Amino acid sequence: MTTIWKKAIRDFWQERARTTLVVLAIALGISAFAAVLSSYAILTRELDRGYLETNPASAVLRVDSIDNDLVKAILQNPEVSDAEPRRTIGGQIKAGPVQWRNLILFVVEDYGNIRVSKLVPESGAWPPATGEILIERDAFQVAKANVGDAVTVKTANGVETPLVISGSVHDVGQAQARMENIVYGYINLATLVQLGEEPRFDQLNILVAQNRFDEDHIRRVASDVEKLIEGRGHDVRRVEIPRPGKHPHSDLTGILLLAMSSFGLFVLVLSGILVINLLTAMMASQVRQIGVMKAIGGTRRQVARIYFSQALFLGIAAVIVSIPLGILGSRALCQYMAMFLNFDINSFAVPIWVYLLVALIGVIAPLLAAAYPVWRGTSTPVRVALADFGLSQTNFGAGAFDRALTRIGGTFSLIAFAIRNSFRRRARLVLTLLTLAAGGLFFLSALNVRASMVNTLDRMFAARKSDLSVSFAKPYEFEKIQKAVSNTAGVKRAEGWFTAEGSLGERRFGVVALPADTQLLDFDIIEGRKLTPQDTDAIVINNALAGREPTMHVGETVALRIGAEEKAWRVVGIAREAFAPSPVGYIPLTGMVNSLRLALDNADPDSIGELKTELDRNLEAEGIRARGSSTKSENRFGFDQHMVMIYVFLIVMSAIVGGVGGLGLMTTMSLNVLERRREMGVMRALGATPRIVWLMIVSEGVVIGVLSWAIAALLAWPVSKIIGDSFVRVLFHSGLDFTFEPLGLVIWMLVSIGLSAVASFLPAWKASRATVREALAYE
Amino acid sequence: MISLNHVSKTYETPAGKFAALKDIDLEIRPGEFVGVVGKSGSGKSTLLNMVAGIDRPSSGSVAVAGTEIHALSENKLAAWRGRNVGFVFQFFQLLPTLTAAENVMLPMDFSKTIPLRERRKRAVELLDLVAVKSHADKLPATLSGGEQQRVAIARALANEPPLVLADEPTGNLDSVTATEILDLFRNMANRGITVVIATHEADIARVIDRKIEISDGKIHPQITQMT
Repeated sequence: MTTIWKKAIRDFWQERARTTLVVLAIALGISAFAAVLSSYAILTRELDRGYLETNPASAVLRVDSIDNDLVKAILQNPEVSDAEPRRTIGGQIKAGPVQWRNLILFVVEDYGNIRVSKLVPESGAWPPATGEILIERDAFQVAKANVGDAVTVKTANGVETPLVISGSVHDVGQAQARMENIVYGYINLATLVQLGEEPRFDQLNILVAQNRFDEDHIRRVASDVEKLIEGRGHDVRRVEIPRPGKHPHSDLTGILLLAMSSFGLFVLVLSGILVINLLTAMMASQVRQIGVMKAIGGTRRQVARIYFSQALFLGIAAVIVSIPLGILGSRALCQYMAMFLNFDINSFAVPIWVYLLVALIGVIAPLLAAAYPVWRGTSTPVRVALADFGLSQTNFGAGAFDRALTRIGGTFSLIAFAIRNSFRRRARLVLTLLTLAAGGLFFLSALNVRASMVNTLDRMFAARKSDLSVSFAKPYEFEKIQKAVSNTAGVKRAEGWFTAEGSLGERRFGVVALPADTQLLDFDIIEGRKLTPQDTDAIVINNALAGREPTMHVGETVALRIGAEEKAWRVVGIAREAFAPSPVGYIPLTGMVNSLRLALDNADPDSIGELKTELDRNLEAEGIRARGSSTKSENRFGFDQHMVMIYVFLIVMSAIVGGVGGLGLMTTMSLNVLERRREMGVMRALGATPRIVWLMIVSEGVVIGVLSWAIAALLAWPVSKIIGDSFVRVLFHSGLDFTFEPLGLVIWMLVSIGLSAVASFLPAWKASRATVREALAYE
Repeated sequence: MISLNHVSKTYETPAGKFAALKDIDLEIRPGEFVGVVGKSGSGKSTLLNMVAGIDRPSSGSVAVAGTEIHALSENKLAAWRGRNVGFVFQFFQLLPTLTAAENVMLPMDFSKTIPLRERRKRAVELLDLVAVKSHADKLPATLSGGEQQRVAIARALANEPPLVLADEPTGNLDSVTATEILDLFRNMANRGITVVIATHEADIARVIDRKIEISDGKIHPQITQMT
């Protein structure tokens, strides 16, 4: 090994305290980046793999009824490799004395021979016997029951039937039961009969023989099957073609994770700032040695290589530290997301390309950051370099800003001194402020985005004034329902609505018919007007529908098909609905209702539970069967979950970025102290006590902390608005009502002062303890 | 060996222009041991820097060992210096994180004229020459001033340069050590190396072949003293 390498290694070792700080900061960025990137690789792989293993259906057709002859006929088509009938039916389930939960029942013909959209048995019985029900594993929390419990199940038409939960099942590709707040149950045909329903299948899962991943091909085959079914006198209600080969959530998961990994890169860039600070200071302290090396024959390139090597060591050390950290982080993240998405990860193997990319970026980033300081540091002419004596040789006092600073504080004031001192190395100060302010911005954004989301959700849910909504399997006259309601205590207001599906041409949307003078829904009209009691053919559409259908603007009359009827409707208004991706139109109610909306005196879960039981009885007395119900708080739950996710992510980011900022400040203070060693020796010689020296340095650190707070505070409003809007747009396709959380400013001020005091403590203490002789000694 | 022709050097300082060298003409023959004597600020260090290529003249030409060095670029100068000039500084200027032997090897690693395998051996030989072989693997901080300067002299000889320049080499040493160091330079000169020392020391007369007096940037006519 040549002496050139030896010098690089020994210099690096000598600076190990400061380089450790910088290595840690870089490692933070690389670990975050590595953790998220490997999670992305693992999750997208495992999601799709797990999904494909269940042999998911190429297309799902909803038919009025399916029998074996029909299935055989369909299988005659060589393009169709498999077709399996199923039944999906809505109902309710009750475990013990707890209230009814919404239920979707899946009826499978032969559990022993499921070939398409397979279910994976988790525990307990397989198949479920007659009188038994299997529950999807994620739905147990919703059902509030366990395997072995006796439950009561009822469907819209049938009778209340006792069943036993005999096992647990994993239905990959199904929306998470927890998020939907629905129980998924699996029974056999005989149990369906027990429930009082006809033993009939209404869903066909088909698998195409070739080109399984070609959506257009699947569409064509499905269309052929549809024609065949209709040709035999059946009615095809719906044809669903899921995205072939991809788990329904893999795209969104992928996007989220890639976005998160970009934050890891951002932290890495911030840590590059620390590298710049460290290398700049290192070059400054090596000026004379650089001069000597050039004098004895070293070219600029040869000398620069010594310092680039040290930047390389920084990167290598950081990568070595980060890889295990990153693997740990990704494991935790994967497990959290898998639990959230209700699927299993078989293999945590990280593909090689992730390791290579992380190592490459981790090594290159410090080299890039070092480029300018090293190049500039090696450019000093030999003569000038040899004359350097290491005193802090900035020209403080030349510029107008510096002179302005002198006007702060008349006689000796510690604060004034601290303020002026912090501005001596301007570039270093700016870079340090950047990292600290970034941490502050993330933190403030976390708080502001959370406050905004809560505010937006509150406003959105305030517009929905019904606490409870009950749906019926078929339409009824409202008077009948009204009678049952009036017998139920605790109801402030009841309205009957009718929900249906409408279509404009081929495209479907939701339709809600409600009383024109409804008091249970506040329209947030952004154009036109809301419905009036005089309207007959008026429709108010929401922003989602307006956005999708450019022909439907206020004043236009369009031909819509609602239910079985095709009619001309006049668009009279557009209403804004936050977080509502589904397109919906509102029309005046005429005739029967299939949904009941209630505003209650008490909206707490217990009161609602009691009220639902009583209402159920009263409805039954009138011969009305409820199919399902949902409360406002249950609806809100899903949104709140997403909000918590975003909030936690931002807080974690702010902790990481704040950590880098703290390390940066520590490095800066340590460098400041090192360079002014002689100066402080002079001050000590002139009478300053160690305590004053210590106080001076800590004050300087705190001044920097407060300055960074000011920058963060100034930028918090626009930055958190942008961050909040981006998240909400990606997740909910909607806008945000921005709210500023003033408490955040106070908290971050305290954190900034605390962090900067802690960061300056050690350098200050060391400086105050150096003897005067050491400080003034030459070299 | 060394030829300065109408060399002048003027610096721009915040306090105004300063003429360090004023129209210097100088010839030094190969193998001469020359002492450049003058007070602080006389221009002797600047003169030495011109010869080493560490500084450029504002006007005039500098030719050393057959090369017009004032015309070379920074990097070419550095490479040229490594092979042709050994420099000894007043404050020793050893690199603190390298041992004595490694400090001596450093110029060899820069110039690559000595083969890789022989560098260590040569370094130890040079340290032996200057009587500090026992300190070969010690760091400069553990050596006395005199020992450090000896190592620095060994370093100056690393690439077998025809020319050795020394700027106040005894300025930081006690008188006994200073004498010993000057004797080392004399031995060097005796072996045919051209040696130029800039100093304010009167004692130099004892070892040098020729004395050049410089003050206020000008060389004064002097009597050559042969020993």
